[in-house]
Amino acid sequence: MSKIMTVDILSSIKGAQPSEAVNKLFDVIKNAQPTNNNSLNNVNYNCVSVNNLREDVVIESSAIEKQLIIENFPKKKNGYLVVAKVIED
Amino acid sequence: MDSQIKHIHQQLVDQQITCTALVQEKLNLLQENTHNTVNSLLDKTALALAVKVDTKIKNGEKIGLLEGIPFGVKDVYMLQGTNTTASSNLLKNYKSPFTATAIQKLLDAGAIPIVKENCDSFGHGSSSENTIFGAVKNALNPALVAGGSSGGSAVNVAKNFTIFSIGGDTGGSIRQPAGYNKIYGLKPTYGRISRYGLMAYASSTDCVGPLAKSIEDIRIILNVMSGKDAKDQTSITSKEIDEKAISNNTVKTIGYFKNFIESDAIDADVKADFLTSIEKIKATGIKVKALDFFKSDILVSTYYTLAMAETASNLSRLDGTNYGNRIEAENLIETYAVTRSENFSEETKRRIVGGNQVLSQGFSDEIYLKGLALRDQISTNFDKDFKEVDIILSPVTPSAPPKIGESLKDPHAMYLSDAYTVGFSLAQLPTLTIPQGTVTGLQITAAKNNEEIILKFANFLKETI
Repeated sequence: MSKIMTVDILSSIKGAQPSEAVNKLFDVIKNAQPTNNNSLNNVNYNCVSVNNLREDVVIESSAIEKQLIIENFPKKKNGYLVVAKVIED
Repeated sequence: MDSQIKHIHQQLVDQQITCTALVQEKLNLLQENTHNTVNSLLDKTALALAVKVDTKIKNGEKIGLLEGIPFGVKDVYMLQGTNTTASSNLLKNYKSPFTATAIQKLLDAGAIPIVKENCDSFGHGSSSENTIFGAVKNALNPALVAGGSSGGSAVNVAKNFTIFSIGGDTGGSIRQPAGYNKIYGLKPTYGRISRYGLMAYASSTDCVGPLAKSIEDIRIILNVMSGKDAKDQTSITSKEIDEKAISNNTVKTIGYFKNFIESDAIDADVKADFLTSIEKIKATGIKVKALDFFKSDILVSTYYTLAMAETASNLSRLDGTNYGNRIEAENLIETYAVTRSENFSEETKRRIVGGNQVLSQGFSDEIYLKGLALRDQISTNFDKDFKEVDIILSPVTPSAPPKIGESLKDPHAMYLSDAYTVGFSLAQLPTLTIPQGTVTGLQITAAKNNEEIILKFANFLKETI
């Protein structure tokens, strides 16, 4: 497989091309001069502390939740989700 | 306007109206409305809940303040058993298996959801035209857009179809439609309200917030929905805001961004009206400082770069495998591609592709990482500003709402119209739109977790400008 992946493949959207409207936005960023190159996101630090993580426990879904998940299956057989048979790549 | 919630609560308690009649009246208004605000009506469940409230009142039981109050929900929130489409083709038959934390808190308080509301698909838009349910029409002039992405929610509140509605704000999606339809709309501090059960657009700026016709109603709903939630680890603990605490103004100094007002892009009327408001505030003895800020194009480009990167990642799960409108093709990869190509709107595709562009090798350093660095600088700038001022006041938009159809023709112009809202999103600051001061209102912003001072100042402005 080629190492270069085009945006249509990356996006799983057939025939997708970069758009002029969006490229104009990116040009502004390319030409901007940040006072530093700090991309560490130090200001809006939303990560939770390891001491404050929620309990790692299995929570059983309710019967109605399970039923709705099954109702949402795009294709089903005998109550099971049907997926594509073969993953080729 | 005074609190509609308190007014209706009293009417219910005094048995001047029944909850069933109230809910039925709102359902009828929604059903008949021609503004395209409705994706689905929750009539059966709403009326069943209303009957329960009426029985309670008849039996002489006490009801809570929100009990029996009908409200709307933007169609990006999970509400168990309801269609949750994100106004998209891909999810047009999707049913929520569970309920969002924010909505569950309102249900627990007894409020009654009556409608899932039209919006831009996945929150991708500033006009509520990017939807399979038809463009939402402005409450004041149906030839104009409602704003977006929470356009259906804003129009429902403005037209009294709902008492309040719950919108979502990533870059202005509550504040801008609130301004376009002349109501109040609050984007709280990032994390104050749990995002669990809100379909993710850009996770680092997505916020849940209320739209209503009074400051008091905004306060009531905010208090109910706020709080840390184990299901959203970015959620934060916050203090309840007391009604008395927001009645007397304590703001001594406010600021506004010079470049917003001196920009060539601002309409002359918006500029003149904003400056008149500033003069009225000065006349009360409050100090006003003109502040330096980033150029609008930097703000908009930084926001969209990061939001597109995040939405490309968040929406990658939508491939028709476990749910959604799958379109079968010859193999798995093709099935993904055809499903996504046929079901996503042009605007959603544009944003996904843009996101994958900036995240791909060779571009991420030049654009995405630079965008993150700019965001840090923008946030730092606010930290500095809030050492000097209590509040930052700004217009909501540079111009009046456009006509329906105009935004779709020129996406770049639509992105630029978000210039005054996205900076506050990037810095995760609380901001309230009030229906005063300019044709599309004013935004009141404070430092993080300072919603109380915002509501206090909004009450003050109600009497001042």
